[in-house]
Amino acid sequence: MRTVYLTILVLLLSTAASMAQVAVIAHQSCPADTIEKRELLDFYTGDILKWSDGQLVVVFDLKPRGEVKKDFYKFLGKSASRMKSIWLKKMLAGEKDPPLSLKSETEILDKVATTPGALGFVSQALVTQEVKILAVIRADD
Amino acid sequence: MRLLPVIILVLAFTWGSPGPLAQSADSPIKVFGYFQTSFQQWTAYDDHPDNNTFNLQQMNLFLQKDLGSDWTAFINLEFLNNFSSGRRWGSFSLEEAWIRYRKDNRLQLKIGLLTPIFNNLNEIKNRTPLLPYIIRPLAYETSFNEFIDVDAFTPIQAFTQVYGFIPWNGLKFDYALYLGNSPNINNDPTRGQTGIDTTTTLLYGGRVGLRFNDIKLGFSGTYDNDNVGTRLAPVLSRPISELNELPRRRLGADLSVNIAPFQLEGEFIDVKLGDDPQILKQEVSFYYATLGYHLTEQFFAYGSYWYLDSQVDIASTTSSADEFEDISIPTMGIYYNLTDRVRFKAQHAWVAISNEFRDFGETATAKVSADFRVATVAISVWF
Repeated sequence: MRTVYLTILVLLLSTAASMAQVAVIAHQSCPADTIEKRELLDFYTGDILKWSDGQLVVVFDLKPRGEVKKDFYKFLGKSASRMKSIWLKKMLAGEKDPPLSLKSETEILDKVATTPGALGFVSQALVTQEVKILAVIRADD
Repeated sequence: MRLLPVIILVLAFTWGSPGPLAQSADSPIKVFGYFQTSFQQWTAYDDHPDNNTFNLQQMNLFLQKDLGSDWTAFINLEFLNNFSSGRRWGSFSLEEAWIRYRKDNRLQLKIGLLTPIFNNLNEIKNRTPLLPYIIRPLAYETSFNEFIDVDAFTPIQAFTQVYGFIPWNGLKFDYALYLGNSPNINNDPTRGQTGIDTTTTLLYGGRVGLRFNDIKLGFSGTYDNDNVGTRLAPVLSRPISELNELPRRRLGADLSVNIAPFQLEGEFIDVKLGDDPQILKQEVSFYYATLGYHLTEQFFAYGSYWYLDSQVDIASTTSSADEFEDISIPTMGIYYNLTDRVRFKAQHAWVAISNEFRDFGETATAKVSADFRVATVAISVWF
């Protein structure tokens, strides 16, 4: 019986993990309170470099490939490799540097909280009041 | 019209925002670049025997410095074909040296030596890590410029460019307008300063385009005047004035579509030099189409077809000559990203060249054709 309970618990936990939501977060100084998919894509591809108040957007990416990163880029409609090729093209044309890739979600959270104009993404469960949530991406979005 | 470049320069440096030196200039100089080294195997054609060769096809070194939030300076040094000045191998050139002012996405301005926007590939033709090819579509294959006049197809340099995009309901309207030198550049030190335009004409060019998600298309054009015909004046027994500053116009169209896992890309270029076949007229057209498939995120395979068609009509006061040339190249290849910065490439091309030439006063037409294959592998690295 104990094994059955454990199995159910593991199943529930894994289902919860797979339904984890991704939060698009920004530094508190960011002038926007929400963000649309199109704007988010423009910031991440480097087509648009400034917030509406003229502040530079500093974009962060997550280095490890995991569900959070996969869900985020799936929401943007691009694969991680397609994003890399867009960033490389911008960099080699002298247009824009690629986003800084950080090793963990907590590192993204810290950087976004302390860098004016910063924009990033982490699991919603990790978000603190030090950053602003602009959007929440559900796995089925 | 001749005042236009001056007006643009004045506008650039008197814009409402602070000048570059008024802003923070303490960001470090970024040094980065890439190289591509290949092994190529060519089968015999004409009087060229089979050959195998290693080649450091290209190395580019970039220096970039942000001069405040809106200003950037950029330098691009390019080394081709195992460059060694002492051994007289390959070539070295200062490809780009520009400063850019970015007001916003709608308006950006580059001033200095720059590669202008023309079709999809011109601006990035030399960025080998971005391209699946080892040998690029012919009009862009700068390492062949010792035997194909690559410069005829696309504008190589400009000195002022205004560009940007205007977003509207999910669409992005791209535009670019630029000015540069005419192709009449002095390379003879006995005739004065080298590298300068010897005429009063300029290159005018631009591109308009549209982007929607991963679909991108555009139309490009340039206009300049070329003095290449003046060298033929004594042969044709014509006064130099008839061959001086012949008008040249280039037209281009491009389309690229990325719908995962497929990638489609194609371009068309048509170039006309001179407009009177009774004096000198040259028409060159080139197109390519590439269809690729991402087998995995790292592995990409493609097939491509390139076609170049050239016709020259030239006439002396008593007779005329014509030359027709076709180059047709089906090619296929793959690349595999070994790491984020190292790409392995392989490519195979079947080249067919056909040339017909009817000389002055000759009744017979000389026909030459050549078929050969090129197999090549390469490593492309950016650092």
